[in-house]
Amino acid sequence: MKIVGVTACPSGVAHTYMAAEAIRRACKERNIDVKVETQGSIGCENYLTEDDIKDADAVILTKDIDIQEADRFKGKPIVKAFAGDVIKKAPSIVEKLVQYIESTK
Amino acid sequence: MNELKHIFKDTRKHLMTGVSYMIPFVVAGGILLALSVVIYGQGAVPTEGTWLYDLFFIGVAGFELMIPILAGYIAYSIADRAGIAPAAIAAHVGNKMGAGFFGAILAGLIGGIVVYYLKKIKVHDTIKSIMPIFVIPIVGTFITAGFMKWGLGAPIASLTNNLTAWLQGMSTQSIVVLAIIIGLMEAFDMGGPVNKVAYAFVILSVGEGIYNVPGISAVGVCVPPIGMGLATFLSPKKYTEEEKEAGRAAILMGAVGITEGAIPFAAADPVKVIPSIMVGGAAGAVTAALFNVQCMVAWGGLIVIPAIIGKIGFLIAIAVGAGVTALMVNALKKPVSERIEKDSISNADDFSVTIG
Repeated sequence: MKIVGVTACPSGVAHTYMAAEAIRRACKERNIDVKVETQGSIGCENYLTEDDIKDADAVILTKDIDIQEADRFKGKPIVKAFAGDVIKKAPSIVEKLVQYIESTK
Repeated sequence: MNELKHIFKDTRKHLMTGVSYMIPFVVAGGILLALSVVIYGQGAVPTEGTWLYDLFFIGVAGFELMIPILAGYIAYSIADRAGIAPAAIAAHVGNKMGAGFFGAILAGLIGGIVVYYLKKIKVHDTIKSIMPIFVIPIVGTFITAGFMKWGLGAPIASLTNNLTAWLQGMSTQSIVVLAIIIGLMEAFDMGGPVNKVAYAFVILSVGEGIYNVPGISAVGVCVPPIGMGLATFLSPKKYTEEEKEAGRAAILMGAVGITEGAIPFAAADPVKVIPSIMVGGAAGAVTAALFNVQCMVAWGGLIVIPAIIGKIGFLIAIAVGAGVTALMVNALKKPVSERIEKDSISNADDFSVTIG
């Protein structure tokens, strides 16, 4: 199982990275492969390539501000949440995605 | 109509996207402008012909550009790349009329919506390629900028002017009331539009040679981040590791006068944090007013201390504001352990999976 995510926030200095870290931690706890791209104020880091996305079973996107190149994820199961919620509730979001992925298998 | 509803439902996202692109312009412009005035040392615009005047000019350029950038990227969030030019031009037109931030927000929203619908127009394949190059920029700009020029630009400018005049009238009547208002406004959205309205008044005051208003503001802008940082030190049990990390960053950001440092806390827990920083900000601002703290530059935080008259009062005011913020927010917040328990009960039902 693999989950990818993109995080971004208005000031792009704190929330973006806290949300990314929360997703990484929540996935690692369940031994899920994870890669999170951050679109902070210094720009895009850890860019998700076509291959990354092709292998992913589900996508987590923050919805505080526009995610750049969001059309990369067309056709994928996506959860959109505010960065603040991701930081607080990443484990339950991941749990929800795991249930969803297993139910579609 | 459904699409329009959809656009307005995401208003917050569009505004925040615009703000996120604007912030570097505010910081670069504001700090360089402040630096030129501080080094000049006369508490005024440096004399023409000196390198400091050039530096001042560079700072002003950053400030002028943030208006079209804000509008352009609000529209970008609504209508993608094609929205940028019409909204940015319209905001610039509005700004020349004095419509400022309100004008920029409006130009961004209108430009975005106009371009969004222009893109929907079905045209014959032969002229399809000229739509994005000619039709959308020209028609979009004409409609959006025309709307500012001949429509809402003037009313918004007079609204902004009235607001400024009203704030100025207040300053003679009761500086304390003004301090409360500035403190509340600057903390309310932490560097957002409301904060910037107060800040625009501060810039105007410096230009008019009024230095107590920027003195109040210098305290007001740095209290929210410093206060939240202080709160994480006073009650570490009430904050997660990430928040403590953000707290240290917030103190640094507060020291250089960047109110945005409090955003991570406010976004995570707005109901408890925003009232706390508003009350703390107002308390700090009032203290500064009572000590008659004066600041020669339109910026805030410890970094402006060379430009402060009444340095002790300035430091006391920051301490009071940060202290009030920290005590209030910690009184409202519950320890992390209880918080997590509550979160796990309210499971992830509100996070729905959609196929993108």
